[in-house]
Amino acid sequence: MLLAVLIANSEGNILVERFNGVPGEERLHWRSFLVKLGADNLQGVKNEELLVACHKSVYIVYTVLGHVSIYLVGKDEYDELALSEAIFVVTSAIKDVCGKPPTERLFLDKYGRICLCIDEIVWKGLLENTDKDRIKRLIRLKPPTEF
Amino acid sequence: MAQFVKKDDDRDEEAEYSPFLGIEKGAVLQEARVFNDPQLDSRRCSQVITKLLYLLNQGETFTKVEATEVFFSVTKLFQSKDIGLRRMVYLIIKELSPSSDELHIPVHKKVIIVTSSLMKDMNSKTDVYRANAIRVLCRITDGTLLTQIERYLKQAIVDKNPVVASAALVSGIHLLQTNPEIVKRWSNEVQEAVQSRAALVQFHALALLHQIRQNDRLAVSKLVTSLTRGTVRSPLAQCLLIRYTSQVIRESSMNIQGGERPFYDFLEGCLRHKAEMVIFEAARAITELNGVTSRELTPAITVLQLFLSSSKPVLRFAAVRTLNKVAMSHPMAVTNCNIDMESLISDQNRSIATLAITTLLKTGNESGVDRLMKQITNFISDINDEFKIVVVDAIRSLCLKFPLKYRTLMNFLSNILREEGGFEYKKAIVDSIVILIRDIPDAKESGLFHLCEFIEDCEFTYLSTQILHFLGVEGPKTADPSKYIRYIYNRVILENATVRASAVSTLAKFGAMVDSLKPRIFVLLRRCLYDNDDEVRDRATLYLNTLGGDGSVVETDKEVKEFLFGSLDIPLVNLETSLKNYEPSEEAFDISHVPREVKSQPLLEKKSTGKKPTALGAPPPAPTSTADTYEKLLSSIPEFSTFGPLFKSSAPVELTEAETEYAVNVIKHIFNNHIVFQYNCTNTIPEQLLENVVVVVDASEAEDFAEVATKPLKSLPYDTPAQTFIAFEKPQGVPAVGRFSNVLKFLVKEVDPSTGEAEEDGVEDEYQLEDLEIVAADYMVKVGVSNFRNAWEALGTDFERVDEYGLGPRESLNDTVNSVIALLGMQPCEGTEVVAGNSRSHTCLLSGVYIGNVKVLVRLSFGVDSSKEVAMKLAVRSEDESVSDAIHDIVAN
Repeated sequence: MLLAVLIANSEGNILVERFNGVPGEERLHWRSFLVKLGADNLQGVKNEELLVACHKSVYIVYTVLGHVSIYLVGKDEYDELALSEAIFVVTSAIKDVCGKPPTERLFLDKYGRICLCIDEIVWKGLLENTDKDRIKRLIRLKPPTEF
Repeated sequence: MAQFVKKDDDRDEEAEYSPFLGIEKGAVLQEARVFNDPQLDSRRCSQVITKLLYLLNQGETFTKVEATEVFFSVTKLFQSKDIGLRRMVYLIIKELSPSSDELHIPVHKKVIIVTSSLMKDMNSKTDVYRANAIRVLCRITDGTLLTQIERYLKQAIVDKNPVVASAALVSGIHLLQTNPEIVKRWSNEVQEAVQSRAALVQFHALALLHQIRQNDRLAVSKLVTSLTRGTVRSPLAQCLLIRYTSQVIRESSMNIQGGERPFYDFLEGCLRHKAEMVIFEAARAITELNGVTSRELTPAITVLQLFLSSSKPVLRFAAVRTLNKVAMSHPMAVTNCNIDMESLISDQNRSIATLAITTLLKTGNESGVDRLMKQITNFISDINDEFKIVVVDAIRSLCLKFPLKYRTLMNFLSNILREEGGFEYKKAIVDSIVILIRDIPDAKESGLFHLCEFIEDCEFTYLSTQILHFLGVEGPKTADPSKYIRYIYNRVILENATVRASAVSTLAKFGAMVDSLKPRIFVLLRRCLYDNDDEVRDRATLYLNTLGGDGSVVETDKEVKEFLFGSLDIPLVNLETSLKNYEPSEEAFDISHVPREVKSQPLLEKKSTGKKPTALGAPPPAPTSTADTYEKLLSSIPEFSTFGPLFKSSAPVELTEAETEYAVNVIKHIFNNHIVFQYNCTNTIPEQLLENVVVVVDASEAEDFAEVATKPLKSLPYDTPAQTFIAFEKPQGVPAVGRFSNVLKFLVKEVDPSTGEAEEDGVEDEYQLEDLEIVAADYMVKVGVSNFRNAWEALGTDFERVDEYGLGPRESLNDTVNSVIALLGMQPCEGTEVVAGNSRSHTCLLSGVYIGNVKVLVRLSFGVDSSKEVAMKLAVRSEDESVSDAIHDIVAN
């Protein structure tokens, strides 16, 4: 299960937060844990360079893209490798929507589209689409080209 | 120039201004009324939906009324033909759905609102409308609706558009949780989708098909067999296949000796796959094979080793994580990677560095310890406390593994103890030193000395007091106790009141245990009489008067020690509660009225505690003291006072599920001729008072036992644990066994929560409890021996009984050994309860004391033949012939 997709700005404020199968009372804990993890480690990290950590039996893969940091949390079959596959899809979709690694402003300007992308990529904790071109078409309700 | 300035201004504004600045729920809900406009402004509606999404993503919640209102108005937007808006509508409906579930908008209501629109989309010619409608419908559907749309979903699964097929398949995975019987009917379609040319469809179909068939071993095996021969397009699907394959390997009872392991070639082939994800999955599957041989392991370890020097942190992490696991069961197989692993100690990513260190600590041999510790010393200063704690734990295990290296490791621990660090980290180090002191006698003196040095400059009051307590227990037993006094007395001079009070107690302990030091300790204690803190002065006065007393307070030296340093016999929680409830009055607080039983914790809590060995924090309760407590308790009850000495008390056995109205557990007390069941009851309902509580026991399945006495419980108020007892007579010396069924009977009285007063009249009621068993192991006390060989020789062959037993075919030797240990209820010695990875034979050494206080030693030899038949040779030596026979009877029956 892909437990969480979380996107924050450089100050650690949450921009997008989607949990799956995480009880309400644990969400706050995860949020602060991830933000702290980013604050400790993301300084000076290059765009899209993946960092990895584990906390209990849960894996976390996270990275920086422009002025936002992106965190994915998973367990069981969504281990560090599956998460790095998923985060690659998320980062390329965001770059695609924004045209470049986004500033916070640009990210918020494209907020609706980014939400749609994430909806296409992760659905209730399962990875659904992995191809950025297809996602780009799907969020405009265009059929995929490749079939 | 002016133009440039203006541009800059613009940019500043752009950076500062957020489209969601000052966003507020109430205002957005107001704006959402545009959804109801007869002339829909699609752009505006999309913007409002984005704002709603932003609010939801920030963790904002809507009330029932708000959610219902928004949900209703959003559905109006289906009228719009705007494509962008339609896509947003799908998303917001899904997002609002869970919160409306929580807010109990009935499913049928939601469904009625949107179904007609969605059904239209389901049959739309536009594929993407179909995909989205499927996902939304599955989110809000219930069983009845699902049957109506099942036909469409089945078609969608085999749709030629991969987006539609994936949407239906992923919905299937979710729906399987709620409506398994319906989804299971789709297996033909799903089977067809597994063969799809679209990579992701194959991935989703495989996941769903496996979930549908997961309880049918044969079907899973067939699925795996056919797919491992065919082609799997997506790496994600290939990973799933590898996972299912290892499951089939685990479950197949095929004998691996002498033949190839089924599917091993497939796994090995996957090690050469082009996707890293697949390579890792295969490597992990191989390393986790049951009884994997070194020949099978080698190729997997080789690829993992290559990844250790990858430039991508995720791959390095995955490799070192897998190798870390392998190191637990096959340390030798990983030693080849040690050089690569050592270079990871300085990895930027601390998770990787820590995993590398702990792996090296597991695989290292005794001669490499010094070098390794040097490297760790360089590394440890720049990682954070969380990782340091992991390293400290690993070092502790290493030290227990190589006790001869205690000097190096103890020095390391004491060095890091002096450096900067938070409380948890310091506590982990202190706990480790304490464990080493306990387990390695040679390390005791140096360990205590390090702890003394530490408290000279310790900023944590809690740790100082714990160490002082520990010094008081261990210090007097050393060769030269006097050298610790200086450190302890320094605390009295330099520290805060809490630490000073602990130091006074520790000094007193030295005085009580070491006669030669007594006069000098008295000098020090007298100085404490002038301390400016009450508690410190009071303690000093108490110790001086009792230890050096004239016999006016307590009579004998033994009683003094018992009074001062003996256990309190009362759980501190209960004492605390009683003291809080005590209201100052004429009647003095009486400690004998404090309940002695600990409330049984909810099961969840129990699981979370006691994961790792604790040292100072919660010292393992000394077995004698709990036994003493029980003995005192039972002998204070007239009905049981004639039963003689208590032989054994079991750990509490829960008779109720966690979080039920009444929590009951039972402790089995074994006497020579009797057994007593002590039922610890807790009433968890504030509005009830229970009276005349008894447990009615049916012993019809325990023929050797005859009920002789019961002690009912007069009253059981809310949240105050109390006990009721029942005693049975049994034939002397015979380890009688049986099963007892229990019913809790009582009189319930309603309590007015505002006044706390109970009504006059009550109602008889009863509550079924779980059954309880007396088994052979209840007649054995676990008592270890320090040197089994010596003890075995000392008992001699006079009453030795040896016999062989066939245990039949068994899956795991380790489980078999542990079930025999549990059957006998004896203490495993010298770590022989652990069976090495894939060994075919094992010897296990056990020790214990049998009822009648007869010492027993057991040597178990296990062997496994090619058909997994386990044979066991049982050699028993004891002080009594009949006991040796009785042990054989336990196994034979």
